[in-house]
Amino acid sequence: MRKQELSTIKLPSEEEIREFQLKQRRWRKVAMIYLVLLLVSILTIGPFFFGLLSSLKDNPLEWPPKLSVNQLKPANWIAAFRLSKAGCGKGFFGEFAPGAIIPFQVTYQVPAGKEPVTPQVVVPKRVPGTAGAALLIEHYAADYSRVSEVQEVKREILADGSVRVTYAFTIHHTGDVVCDRLPMDITVPLGQQFVSATLDPNRPNERLGRVQSWNNLTAGVIPYIFYNYHRVFSENYSRTTGKNLFSSWIKNSFVLCFARVLTNLLFASMAGFALARLKFRGKNTIFLLMLFSMMIPGQVTFISNYLVLRDGVFGLSKLFGVNTLLNSYSGLIVSGLVSASSVFIMKQFFEGLPESLEEAARIDGASSYQILFRIFFPLAKPALGALTILTFQGVWNEFFWPLVVLTSPQDRFTLTIGLLSFRRMYGVAFDWGPILAGSVISALPLVVLFVVFQRYFVEGISFTGVKG
Amino acid sequence: MRRSLKEKTAPYVLLSPYLFMLIVFFGYAFIRCFYFSFTEYDLFSPPRWVGFKNYLNLVKDFQFGLALKNSLQFAVIVTSLQTILALLLAVILNQKIKGIRFFRAVYYMPSITSSAVVTLIFMWLFQKKGLINYLLTLAKTGYRIIAVFFGLFVLCQAFLVIGEKIKKRPVSLFEPSFLFLSVVVSFMATFILVKTGIVTMAEGIPPVETVWLNTKKMWPQNNRIFGISYPLGSIMLLNTWTTAPTFMLLYLAGLQDIPKELYEAAAVDGATKFKTFWYVVRPQLSNITFLVVTMGLISTLQMFDQVAIIGDQAPLDSVITLAYYVYINAFPSSVSPKIGMASAAAVFLGFLTLLIVLIQKKVVREGEGVEL
Repeated sequence: MRKQELSTIKLPSEEEIREFQLKQRRWRKVAMIYLVLLLVSILTIGPFFFGLLSSLKDNPLEWPPKLSVNQLKPANWIAAFRLSKAGCGKGFFGEFAPGAIIPFQVTYQVPAGKEPVTPQVVVPKRVPGTAGAALLIEHYAADYSRVSEVQEVKREILADGSVRVTYAFTIHHTGDVVCDRLPMDITVPLGQQFVSATLDPNRPNERLGRVQSWNNLTAGVIPYIFYNYHRVFSENYSRTTGKNLFSSWIKNSFVLCFARVLTNLLFASMAGFALARLKFRGKNTIFLLMLFSMMIPGQVTFISNYLVLRDGVFGLSKLFGVNTLLNSYSGLIVSGLVSASSVFIMKQFFEGLPESLEEAARIDGASSYQILFRIFFPLAKPALGALTILTFQGVWNEFFWPLVVLTSPQDRFTLTIGLLSFRRMYGVAFDWGPILAGSVISALPLVVLFVVFQRYFVEGISFTGVKG
Repeated sequence: MRRSLKEKTAPYVLLSPYLFMLIVFFGYAFIRCFYFSFTEYDLFSPPRWVGFKNYLNLVKDFQFGLALKNSLQFAVIVTSLQTILALLLAVILNQKIKGIRFFRAVYYMPSITSSAVVTLIFMWLFQKKGLINYLLTLAKTGYRIIAVFFGLFVLCQAFLVIGEKIKKRPVSLFEPSFLFLSVVVSFMATFILVKTGIVTMAEGIPPVETVWLNTKKMWPQNNRIFGISYPLGSIMLLNTWTTAPTFMLLYLAGLQDIPKELYEAAAVDGATKFKTFWYVVRPQLSNITFLVVTMGLISTLQMFDQVAIIGDQAPLDSVITLAYYVYINAFPSSVSPKIGMASAAAVFLGFLTLLIVLIQKKVVREGEGVEL
């Protein structure tokens, strides 16, 4: 029986083996290519990814750096939701409202032979973040709260003789005003180790592990997860207008980008068309000057440009009742109406369009303006798309010129300049959370734009590259 | 008659917004910068003509010398690094496999965000308790594991290649399908060795706590002329990382323009991969290389953002560049503006840029001539 079976199995021919090997080889080769591609990806987006992850952390400089983040654990989301619900009846954005009773449990471990000590629970009068934020706090939870007696609810003896004790207590709101946050500190004797709690503490190891500290028990899920992002918006207010600084910066950047994209699209097509398709005296000179201007560093021209803006473009701005264009967006828009590289891109594109288009229109008696706006402009969609993206990216990321023009007040800044002021403010205290969060927010529009319009980015680069 | 007048003026009308920019914000500014460089001026009282005094002062200024040194170092090193890296990335990306568009997007990512964002993220990575130091610590404590992995990898690859050679089949040393096999096998073997405790992490090694930014340290030490300061070195890495992807796209376009027949001809002649690259691909890309190097030099010589953002987190002397020198002379924080000095330095920077680009052009073009 068995013998028969064996003999019926057809052995693969040499050719088949060879083919199988080749197939396998090809497969492994592709796998190797993917492996290399993946490894290099770690280099290119690794820093962004790690920055994004760490922007959620309480301390982005924790040592050793970890990939697991408390704020991304579902157990903590549920706990934050429940605590906030107990605090004010709302789960997503919470506060510490009158009548609130916050239940809390915390577990400690004591080595064998030692008697567990009941921890001390305090609601501290702590100022969040920078000193500037302190001015905004009206009521401290410390003045309106009472911590109930801390009771032992569970005791468990582990195999090695050490003891795990769980304590429970509640925090009551005793006043009649709403406090926007409820911080908490728990103190235990040295050696009594923190194990777990209803909500993971923000700083589990203060004072050699004797103090566990929470920023805000009733934050609500969203401010809990996006703690640093919340800080970015809630801690920065203009001293003069009281407006939220970071949202002003975002708005400013968008307005500036929008205006500059529009003017660049229009004026660059006009100039590009003239340089590409019309004959006139001085054309070569203008083109050469344009190329030259692209090579000269901005540091050469910025002093004069600064003065031009300061004096309102030779006093012309006085006609509109404006004395100086410094610290103003009109100034930034006027000095960036159209850039040499935009003109260059449009010129390149228009030169590539067939001659016959224009000739036919000319015979029909169309003027240069009509040819540009009726025929060429609609055809220029790909170039205009690329130019839109490139200009938006360029203006959004611009640093040197806004730094010179916008100096005060702070709510006039663009995002890039605002981030610099963040670095100055938080960087001194090694408080990298809000800096990273701010960076992530300001990178976001470009990343979205890039994901949606990837093609235009790539085309834009090759448009500028044609000049070689 | 009217019509022809309208047509005659059309080019100038269409150009007028750009001409306004070119004349006011470039031409006028350029000439004024020259003028200012021969004056003493503080932005408020009228400029006073002083002749070549500012230029003489520049030569004497120690800080200007440092700025020049830093700028040149930065331009040369970053331009070379980013050109090589861009080409390398483009070669890696020049594959016809599924999902390559995704990888192209991922590789381009460092180039899309602002210098402010990337500089801040890098500053954070380069902190004393930052990721860079942590990875160095990890490499230091895990050196045995790394060595075992690479040792096994090389052995495995050699074994496979020799096996194939014995069978008299043509095979290259870096046969990709074998590489993959070697990686997988050596990774698994190392994993088992670590899990069973045969290979362990080194113990008692203190964490690396290099200060990257707030330091005057140089590499190599005590070399005042060629030494690269730690903070500037960090900025070099950062800048290479952010600009290489832009140039990678240019190279990628160039690679895709190379006709297939050239590769086929090389393959028929039995050229190795490296030889194909060196003798077939590289000359085809020389135009792009010229463009990349020119654009790289222009932009690196103007490097400003990163230094301004790092600001007082690094000692001024070790990061100051020409562009930053111009800025802090024009807008100093405590004393009154020295527009004369700033303008002289700016003029110098402008000429340096033109000069370097011209030299580059000459060298590259002549180099090509020799090759042909």
